[in-house]
This record gives sequence, structure tokens and C-alpha cells, in this order.
Amino acid sequence: MKFITKIQKNIYDLQNFYLICINSLLKLFRKPFYLDDIVEQMEYAGASSVFIVSLVCLFVGMALSLQLSAELSGLGLKMYTGKIVGIAVIREIGPLVTALVFIGRVGAGQAAEIGSMILGHQIDTLRVYGIDPIKKVVIPRVIASVIMLPCLTIIGDLICLFGGYYIAVFVSNQSGSFYWSSIIKELTFENVFSGSIKPFIFGYLISCISCFYGLTTRGGAKGLRTSTTKAVVTSIVVVIATDFVLTRILLYALGFSV
Amino acid sequence: MIVFDDVWFSYGDREVLKGVSFSANFDERIAVLGESGEGKTTILKLILGLIVPDKGKIIIDGVDITQLDEEELIPIRRQFSIVFQEGALFDSLPVKENVAFFMREILKLPDEQIYKRVSELLNRVGVIDAEELMPEELSGGMHRRVAIARALAAGKTKMFLYDEPTAGLDPINSERIMSLIEDLANKENIGFMIITHVVYVAWQLCNRFIFIKDGSILFDGNKKELILTEIPAVKDFIKELFFRVEG
Repeated sequence: MKFITKIQKNIYDLQNFYLICINSLLKLFRKPFYLDDIVEQMEYAGASSVFIVSLVCLFVGMALSLQLSAELSGLGLKMYTGKIVGIAVIREIGPLVTALVFIGRVGAGQAAEIGSMILGHQIDTLRVYGIDPIKKVVIPRVIASVIMLPCLTIIGDLICLFGGYYIAVFVSNQSGSFYWSSIIKELTFENVFSGSIKPFIFGYLISCISCFYGLTTRGGAKGLRTSTTKAVVTSIVVVIATDFVLTRILLYALGFSV
Repeated sequence: MIVFDDVWFSYGDREVLKGVSFSANFDERIAVLGESGEGKTTILKLILGLIVPDKGKIIIDGVDITQLDEEELIPIRRQFSIVFQEGALFDSLPVKENVAFFMREILKLPDEQIYKRVSELLNRVGVIDAEELMPEELSGGMHRRVAIARALAAGKTKMFLYDEPTAGLDPINSERIMSLIEDLANKENIGFMIITHVVYVAWQLCNRFIFIKDGSILFDGNKKELILTEIPAVKDFIKELFFRVEG
């Protein structure tokens, strides 16, 4: 009996999640537009996240370059470090690492903030006033995430490449101009498109998941902890799984052979 | 008029209301009494259509609100002014913006008019000095008074709904909130429904008492009937009142 109830609850939750995803798109162009809330959320999701994204990407770029230099120098192929760092960062590592940092900082924050609004009856107050929480609370966060995650990814990619450059030039004694020229050669439409489409989708998924768990928060501080944890864990799993699916689709669509 | 007709409601497996029926006029002063977790706040949320009952009808002014969608519920909800437990102020906004919220977001009034009204309302509830403060800087009593000012900013309503208005407050602040509630009801000439587990607060403010126990209404009557009741659970609950009166 309990098992059936659990399945029913999961189906009900899934249905509510889809409703949030669909409503956030359907109501996007319907008045009123809460521009102040959108700007506030963009500031929180974007400007305030630049430092942490840069810091993480710098170390990821350096570690990647270090590993590649060590491995490739043994094969006498050290000069390919820039090329491989460029492809890996632009197509895969930049969007993924930035999205994971974004989940930890912005997604968790969104879930906790909305959860606390639920527990404090602030969402109920909005509904009593006739204000749609999807429009006032969810859509500004979705828009902010969809706009700011790609921007952060571009910054993250650049910092990652600079991290790789530092290691390649100052630790592995490679030519800086060759490092950059081999990266620029990799800035093809296929590579850039493959890396730039992902953050839009990740941003949408992360904010929808976070808002869903925030809106379904129940049961005080413990409930808030649970919903924030669930938002982060689910976002990480969904983003990584989506990354794999998107990579497969993009490789096929852009004519790469595997 | 508010009518509850055989209303059932449960949170997951836990049945909170089991066939609750009562009716109330907007000008009545009603206290919904009961211990914590007995479904008092649930009744308030059901009146506003914030949750939907599993079974039964909730009729507000002749309209069964259980059949309405969010858009259709807006005019129903605006017939009430609600003060949630602990105020439910928007914690990212200062006091004056909390009070200004409805006028800015819904009525779209110009700033000058909004701030004039905000000052009037904060003055009325006695927290004019707090208008620049953030909600976390307010005491419990100030929180409730700002919440009442915000409820008043939503314009003329038919009934006030208070969810545990004195919970967690010291006796002085409780008295202040109680006199504010009474004063507003007298001046605005509208009724209210108070959800509380403090029988003394209910006794001071209300003239009708609904007692909920195990999801059902055990008692529904006036002051005299309450004091003379022979229902053991109700007698036990109102014991505190006798101590106060004797004291």
C-alpha cells in the first residue's frame, strides 16, 4: 500500500514539475512583466556569481592543462595541449563546470528562498492579492538563469583557457602564441555552437527544478533542508544526464563521427 | 456569508478535517479554537481557496469556491483581509514597501499617493517609526502590526481573518494587538475570524466560538454557551479562562 502511495506521489510531483516548466514558458509573454524582479534575479544569478565561477574555472583549466601536458609530453605531443584544452573547454568542460557551480550557488539559493517564502506564507499572501506566483517568483528566476548562465559560461570558458595558458607557458614551457593560435583554430561553428547551446538548456532546467522544490517545501526548517538538498542533487543529475544526451545529439547533428 | 458544508481535508494520509459544517456572517466576531495541529489554519486557507478540500462545499456569498480556478478566486479572496501567523511580511522589502506592495503591484497608484497612505496606515497601527526597517529588525508585536497595516492597505474588505495573532507575543504586546483588532473592527464596522489556541484572546474579542477537535466541530456557540458547556474536551480547554477570571 505504502509503495503504491509513494508511486502516486512521485507521479503527482512529476506532473507538478511539468506544469511549472510549461507554465513558465506559456506565461512568459503574458502581462504583467515583473522587470524589477528579473533585474534583481539577474544580478543575483549573474554578477554575484562571476567570482566563484572564475575561481573554479581557473583551477579546472590549470588542472586540465597540467594533466594533458604531463601525458602528452611523454608522447612528444605537448604542442597539442592548447588544441585539446580548447576543444574540451569550449564544447564540454566550460558549460558543465559553470552549470555545476551555478547549481550550488544559484539553484540552491532559489530553492531555499522560495521554500522560505512558502513556509513564511509569503507565497500565500501573493495568491491572496491575486498575484500569480509563477509570474512573480518563478519566471524572473527562469529568465535570469537562462540569460545569465550562458554569460557566465563564456566568462568561465575564457578563465579556463587562461588557466590552461598559464600552466602550458609557465610550467610546461610551451609557446604562448602557439597555444592561443591552436585554440583559435578550434573556434569553429560546430565547436562554439555545441558549447553555447547547452547553457541555455541547463539554465532553464536548473531554475525550473529549483523553483519546483522550493514551491513544494513543507515541514519547517527540516523540510527546507530537504527541498534544497533535493533541488541541488536532482539538478546535478539532470544536468549531467542532459549534457550526455545533448552531446550525442549535437555530435550527430553537426556531422562529427564517433 | 461563509458556508462550510461537510468539508473533508487531509494532508497526505493525515485527515485534518472530517466533515466540518458551519456557516458565518461577515459581520460576526468568530474564534476558531483548538489545540495545535487540529486544522484551524486549514479552515482559514480553505476560506481563501488556497487549498482545495477533498470533499464537501465551501460557499462564499452563494458561490461554491471549490469549483473556481485561480483567476476566478481573486475577487473572492479580495473580500477578506488576512493576517497570517507571524505576519508573513516579504522579508526582502522594508516595512514601507511591504505596506505599499498591494497599492504598487495591483492598484498601480503613483508613489506620492502610496507613501501618503503608507504613513497613514503605519501611524494607525502605531509603527510609523519603523517604516525604513527590514522585517528581521522588527519585534514580534511590530511584525503583526505591520502585517495588519498591510492587510488594511488592500482596501475595504468584508471580513478580517487573523491566524494566531498573538502567538509568541508577551502579554503587553498581546494586549496591544487585541485592542488594535477590536478597534479596527469597530471603526471599519466589519467582522473577523480569529484562529487561536489562546482562549483568553478569543474570549476578549469574540462573541462566537467554534471548537475543533480531531477534525470535527465539537462546539459552536456564544459566550454563555461556552461557559456552561458540559463537553469535557471544551471544558478542559477553557480551564485557563476560569483561572484568569478568578485571578
